[in-house]
Amino acid sequence: MKIFFNKSFVAWYFVFPVAFIHLFVIGIPSLASLALCLTDWRGLGEINYIGFENFIELFDDRYLKKAIINNVIWTIAFLTVPVGIALTCAYLLTGIKRGQMFFRLAFFFPYMLASVINCQIWKYLFHPIHGLGGFFERIGWEFLAVSPFTTKSTSLFAVAFVDGWHFWGFLVVIYLTGMYQVDNHLYEAADIEGATKFQKFRYITLPMIRPVFVFSIMIIIIWSVPVFDYVYILTGGGPAYSSEVIANYMYSQAFERFDVGYSSAIGTLMFFYVMIIVAMFGLFRRAGWDI
Amino acid sequence: MIRTLISFVSLIILSTSYSALAKTKVTWSMESNADRDPIMIEKLQNAYNNSQGNYELVIEFEDNETRLTSMRTAMIGGMGPDIVETPGPSYVKEYHAAGMLENLDSYAAEFGWKDKMIPWAYSSGVFEGSLYAIPKTHESMVMLYNKTLFEENNWKVPTTLEELEDVAGKIKAKGMNVFSYGSDGWQPTHEHLVGIYLNNYAGPQAVYEAIIGEREWTDPVFVEALELLKKHMVDEGYWSGSLENYYAIGWDDFHAQFANRGAAMMTIGTWTFQATQLGIGASDDEWGWAPLPSLSSQSPDPNFMIAIGTTMSVNANGKNKDGAIDVLNWIMSNKDKVLDIAKDFEFGEMVVPLTLSSSDIPTDIAPQVQDYLSEYARITGEGNYGYCTWTFWPADPGVHIWKDMEVVWAGDISVEDFLYDHQKMWDKARKNGDTLPVPLRN
Repeated sequence: MKIFFNKSFVAWYFVFPVAFIHLFVIGIPSLASLALCLTDWRGLGEINYIGFENFIELFDDRYLKKAIINNVIWTIAFLTVPVGIALTCAYLLTGIKRGQMFFRLAFFFPYMLASVINCQIWKYLFHPIHGLGGFFERIGWEFLAVSPFTTKSTSLFAVAFVDGWHFWGFLVVIYLTGMYQVDNHLYEAADIEGATKFQKFRYITLPMIRPVFVFSIMIIIIWSVPVFDYVYILTGGGPAYSSEVIANYMYSQAFERFDVGYSSAIGTLMFFYVMIIVAMFGLFRRAGWDI
Repeated sequence: MIRTLISFVSLIILSTSYSALAKTKVTWSMESNADRDPIMIEKLQNAYNNSQGNYELVIEFEDNETRLTSMRTAMIGGMGPDIVETPGPSYVKEYHAAGMLENLDSYAAEFGWKDKMIPWAYSSGVFEGSLYAIPKTHESMVMLYNKTLFEENNWKVPTTLEELEDVAGKIKAKGMNVFSYGSDGWQPTHEHLVGIYLNNYAGPQAVYEAIIGEREWTDPVFVEALELLKKHMVDEGYWSGSLENYYAIGWDDFHAQFANRGAAMMTIGTWTFQATQLGIGASDDEWGWAPLPSLSSQSPDPNFMIAIGTTMSVNANGKNKDGAIDVLNWIMSNKDKVLDIAKDFEFGEMVVPLTLSSSDIPTDIAPQVQDYLSEYARITGEGNYGYCTWTFWPADPGVHIWKDMEVVWAGDISVEDFLYDHQKMWDKARKNGDTLPVPLRN
């Protein structure tokens, strides 16, 4: 009986309600979803076990392959452009004494807007009639008159740009928080040694914010897997699957084609992919990486 | 003691009279639309509730995508609305296969529904020999044109491919787009165009044969039809000037484009009549309509593609099946009331496929709509009707026909490869018993 009032056991009383809700809202549906990948369920009616048929079909699906490649491109784009801009801006902001709060708010503002609003802003900016498209057409720059969301070669990057525009302000805030933790004495010592601003960034700031930085890399890689809303709203994965991503493709299979079993197989792949990433970061931590 | 007794008796009297007065609720989950909902409340919900004393119809409006998901979840859980509204037969098929819809055969026989409905529309709700759904609205595809503009320029409304290409050249020379249309906000818009080219190039007979499995979709006639569509869409930019603009333009934009002479014509479904009347109908220009031009000698006569926009069924697990049947029967038995609702939408919505005579067509609607209704009845009555993809295609090929059409237009795959994939999907659907009811041709 005593064990139930043990200090370490009491902690479980606090965890239990959340764990209980998680079990029913996330745990059981996730397990059910994993099980559905071995069936031909169409969202309604009877469920038939079909073994690994969905997976065989999945490896032969050229549009899924296209979606996976697009997800990889998306991840690389997010690991470079928003991270690079956010790091630079955060570092520059640390040097601003007056009006820093204004910039912090301005950069963070798109992150507070709902995705549908962000999408509408950019959709209308690039609209061929109401937006810049009409303007460029009038001045004779017709190559710029076409919306980048509707051109095969640019649609994925255009959507990634809008999502990145909304996201990078969030990175600025977390990098800035990390940079404020850095001991000021290190910069003073570097100043005495005559270090340039870039050298201070490269040899002091960057190593000192490594845990925050690696955390941001990890969440970018993980969040790039289920990316859905910006693609769904801006292009629906088109034109011609050029901006198709795994989550949007999974949605289409489940809710347009009623192929829930196949959609679950795609979800299972996504699940294992995320698990591998989390496990990799866990291994790095065990290997002594400061993350 | 006496006081307690009086209270008890009063309570019994009150509760008895309440239950006598109270009506049993009948719920209907309906797609919401800001303009439409008040009319549905007034002319359907309230009109029905005032007509009888047994049931209280409660329409619950919701955004269609959310509604379909939540309704499906509720029905899997053995609940859901009493009247199940779906966007078409492919959805009915799924619910029917899951045993979630009530067999309506006995009610149809008792109330004579079959005799009240257009035969092809009745048969669209028959699955495995029994009636499971009644169309709430049926529709077709037409070609709208700016009549004033055509008259000013002495242009002829095209009825053949040659005439279409001729007038298209003249329209483009004037700096206008040939057709106003776009898919932003509704990617399946592509299937409207695919359907037009399949039916008006290959012809309804060939499409019918492919639907019932007597002809392959890889047949050269379908290849030619989709090659022609690709030429008009990609090379000629008939719709909104270019493929990219077609992708970028949505409902409000293409109506505005048509209304302000940005385009001379528009290929669209009859659900647009109200928006057209409010758009170009409110301008100085007059609009007209015509059947879609014949695009080859294989489809020489004008035809109207038939389609079901929305269906009504009864939830097999509903709390009040009798009430739901009563509501459906009220709709089927009150032609004047239903026509009064359809009239408010210029026959773009709630066009229940009841058999109509020419005297039934209201005179206080746009003359173009009156004219269309007469022509539609005449031509489809002669058996000249084609098949809209969203009514007669099973779910998987039904998505393929619009989603993967973009791949063809992008030049990533050939029309032949596209139709090869399409045929495979039909074969799979046929094997799995997923095909949908199709009315027999004369």
